[in-house]
Amino acid sequence: MNDPHDPLDPPIRIAAVGDVHMDQDVLGRFRPALAQLPEQADVLLLAGDLTRHGTEAEARCVAEEFGDVGVPVVAVLGNHDYQCDQVDKVVDVLANEGGITVLEGDSTVVDTPACRLGIAGAKGFGGGFAGRCASEFGEPEMKAFIRTTSTVADRLGVALRDLDCDVRIALTHYAPVADTLAGEPLEIYPFLGSYLLGQAIDSAPTALAVHGHAHRGTERGATPGGVRVRNVAHPVIRQAYSVYRLG
Amino acid sequence: MIDEYAEAAVQRLLTEHAGLAEQGITVILRERTMVLYGEVESTARRDEIVRLVEENFPDIPLHVDIGITRATPPSEAEDLL
Repeated sequence: MNDPHDPLDPPIRIAAVGDVHMDQDVLGRFRPALAQLPEQADVLLLAGDLTRHGTEAEARCVAEEFGDVGVPVVAVLGNHDYQCDQVDKVVDVLANEGGITVLEGDSTVVDTPACRLGIAGAKGFGGGFAGRCASEFGEPEMKAFIRTTSTVADRLGVALRDLDCDVRIALTHYAPVADTLAGEPLEIYPFLGSYLLGQAIDSAPTALAVHGHAHRGTERGATPGGVRVRNVAHPVIRQAYSVYRLG
Repeated sequence: MIDEYAEAAVQRLLTEHAGLAEQGITVILRERTMVLYGEVESTARRDEIVRLVEENFPDIPLHVDIGITRATPPSEAEDLL
């Protein structure tokens, strides 16, 4: 069930892309397209894997490329952004040099011409999907794997439910449903997402869920509760960003 | 020698080598050739993939079909009514 949105209001316009893997060699690639962003969207969502290895220098490239684009920018990190164990520095650069809001188990509200748009975000993690998922059982490493996903999903669900806004969006890096993984090898689905994220999204009246991570996946899907899901990994959408209009 | 172990080794090289960090490239064996396909963000990254795979696996015939992901603005929005 979606939040009520008066049909006479202008549509909410959401731009989104993930997996841009910024570094010096691609600096400036997105800027020509981003120059048009304020005419096309009210907010830009970045669905993780913003960098190649999660270094401070790569984060600076993200800040330069996606900062000051004329609309609020809200991001989650991806697994690549954790590679060099510099997450705090990456977040600091994105926030302070790029003006980018980075979410991890929390939320933000953006005032758009149409409404107060709430975005709850978390990187998420793997584990697989109903009927074919891992369980918190056995070796400590296995328990830790699923406990990580479960904790992140719980925080995402709380963040979504606690939002005080007109319309809710969920932003993750890992996939909340298997629909948008179509095209990926079945064997790696447990490393691409978890049904627990979808369950968290369905626990609130979420209007749209956006994720990345699955480069060979499919753009469109839905949760069991009917929330539309969009995989915006750059190799999937094959453009600088996609724009979704709600309303 | 080209076999499943080589296929796995190339896949791990693409992800774990500090100069690559590519998880979106598909590696398949076709007859006696290893085929790499997918998309990356720059020609420099594609060139580095080819260089490092050829350097580490000099005996494997390689066919590379890796494109560069377009970064053009969207021509239209999707209405989620």
